[in-house]
Amino acid sequence: MMKTQLLVVGGGPAGLCGAIEASRYGVETLIVDEGVELGGQLVKQTHKFFGHEGFFASVRGFEIARRLKNQLNHHVKVMLQTTVVGIYEDVVVLYNREKDRTFEVQADYILLATGASERFIQFENNHLPGVYGAGAVQTLMNQFMVLPGKRFLMVGSGNIGLIVSYQLLQAGAEVAAIVEIADRVGGYDVHLRKIKRFGVPVLLRHTIKKALGEEKVTGAVVVQVDEKFRPIGGTEREFAVDVICIAAGLTPSVELAAMANVKIEYVPELGGFVPYRDQNMRTNVENIFIAGDLAGIEEATTAMIEGRIAGLTVAQSIVGTDLSREIEALQNELVEFRSGPFSEKVRKGLSRFFPQRTVEFSRQPQTDKGPVGKLRPIIECYENIPCNPCQTSCPAGAIEVPGNINSLPRIDYEKCTGCGICVSKCPGLAIFMVQENVEPGFDLVVIPYEMVPLPEKDERVIALDREGKEVCEAQVVKVLRFPDMTNLIYLKVPAGYSERVRNFRTLKRGNVLVCRCEEVTLEEVERAIELGFTDYEELRRYLRVGMGMCGGRTCRSTVLSILSQKLGKSPGELLKGRFRPPVMPVKFESILRGETNED
Amino acid sequence: MRRIVEHPILKAKTARTVKFYFEDKELEALEGETIAAALIANGIDVFGESEHGRPRGFFCAIGKCSSCLMVVDGEPNVRVCITLVKEGMRVQRQLGRSDVV
Repeated sequence: MMKTQLLVVGGGPAGLCGAIEASRYGVETLIVDEGVELGGQLVKQTHKFFGHEGFFASVRGFEIARRLKNQLNHHVKVMLQTTVVGIYEDVVVLYNREKDRTFEVQADYILLATGASERFIQFENNHLPGVYGAGAVQTLMNQFMVLPGKRFLMVGSGNIGLIVSYQLLQAGAEVAAIVEIADRVGGYDVHLRKIKRFGVPVLLRHTIKKALGEEKVTGAVVVQVDEKFRPIGGTEREFAVDVICIAAGLTPSVELAAMANVKIEYVPELGGFVPYRDQNMRTNVENIFIAGDLAGIEEATTAMIEGRIAGLTVAQSIVGTDLSREIEALQNELVEFRSGPFSEKVRKGLSRFFPQRTVEFSRQPQTDKGPVGKLRPIIECYENIPCNPCQTSCPAGAIEVPGNINSLPRIDYEKCTGCGICVSKCPGLAIFMVQENVEPGFDLVVIPYEMVPLPEKDERVIALDREGKEVCEAQVVKVLRFPDMTNLIYLKVPAGYSERVRNFRTLKRGNVLVCRCEEVTLEEVERAIELGFTDYEELRRYLRVGMGMCGGRTCRSTVLSILSQKLGKSPGELLKGRFRPPVMPVKFESILRGETNED
Repeated sequence: MRRIVEHPILKAKTARTVKFYFEDKELEALEGETIAAALIANGIDVFGESEHGRPRGFFCAIGKCSSCLMVVDGEPNVRVCITLVKEGMRVQRQLGRSDVV
């Protein structure tokens, strides 16, 4: 039988931070995780985190996972692809899937950081392959770089729904719509704005009624709901999508905690059934601690802080050193993080376990837009999110988040040099720069951009507004690359448009058509070939090239020549595809008339 | 193929390829990816059938929902979303609860 001082179940942000703190004080720690790598959900987070520098603000999730792993020391053992299958009074049973055998472990202390599972919702055909949890799509797309479809419907507009929608756009997929049953968006406004700028529609008071398809999803029926969330007949709309993503929330994975005699309570504000714990993350069972989503659905920053508190409390009990000051400092961090309006629910839920404190912060947004004509940032951050990288990244000290990190930022335009670092650092992509009259008749707009391909200097693009609608033509005057991939695009727009332009799309390749009838672009054909379509018939089915009125006369030879170039084969070696009647459009009516004549 | 070749944040995977079999069909996977990721990359979405004959695919990708159970090298009820694909592995759709050995 294995023995360890601390057993950590779950190697995500909470579990890793618990192990880091405990092992820092020499506690022998074993981390057990089901997955194929450590980091939990962090490994699929490609967006930058909010918060402050002490907890990795403005660092992308997968990078946080890497840094946390590096902080583990030699007191920590890790077992991956291993599941804790049971917790008994005297022993914990693990199943190592690789070795296909079970192990027994005796642990002095246990930190449960088992996370959460996707909440499933009810609609017709919700069993079909292609109905995925939003987290699952994120795992496939960002951890394994596999895109399970072309066109997605997102159900739910909480932060996960919004973030995954944006990441789908980054991966080259289409998001047909986001449907939200409530009358307002659940996630952060900055996340919502990121996807709206690309024209993704958000349908409030709508829900999914039905998935279409026999073997797998081929579409979805969406319906409007009334104020009691009942579907309104006659408002059904169909979307042709191949994946339906469900982002309807998470439920804490409490099974192991319950098995270990931890008291489980129903606290809807924390995600449903959650284990009891105190401010040190200790449960009613003396040697069992919890942290992260298991302790209440929040986000990774608070999960990391909770993990650290649990780890330090365990270390204090084992080593005997007084760590109360460190623990208290972390508890104060939690108070600060949870002081904003978005944590109201969590605070209400947690007040069932212990009293909640908050700290004051400023809700006043900056009203002046700065000196006209100077290159300067415009901060479009109107929610009290706990976040301050704009302040800490500014080399001129021109941005202040007064009081604490929940306040809205303010700029001292006198100090600002227009360097653009805050624009690239802002995790919400909510900072832009403008300069009026940069040339006679033209304004300048600087846009944070995380898409491929990057435009080139001097390229002409179509400028878009905050809703993704076309505003005007613009010219790229500078592309400023940043190592963390949030690049800045400097756009010259006609005078007076700097207030409206907040995004753009390239037109160079998007406007090069291969198939005129079905409007299939060169870019789409090339991308499809890169994805592995190597035959005219396959391309026809995938993109509808040659399916239009001309019967492929205009595009067949073009597609074949693109194929031959891309694959390095002569056009003679390629299959030229089927030729189907009618070779020219014929009216149904005339066919019917023909039949009657025969009779 | 459904692999992402160009991405603004992530670098395309450059792992060694391995061969595995899905229902006796030889497919290619990347070393270090899960069986589920490899199947979906190869355009396979139906991982099995429920006891009542409904097609099943994966749902949560992190080992929690048990929708992705398949028969791997003869062993049923393998959660393919958290099991790595290996050279020569034989993966089959699981029908119902399959035969428990």
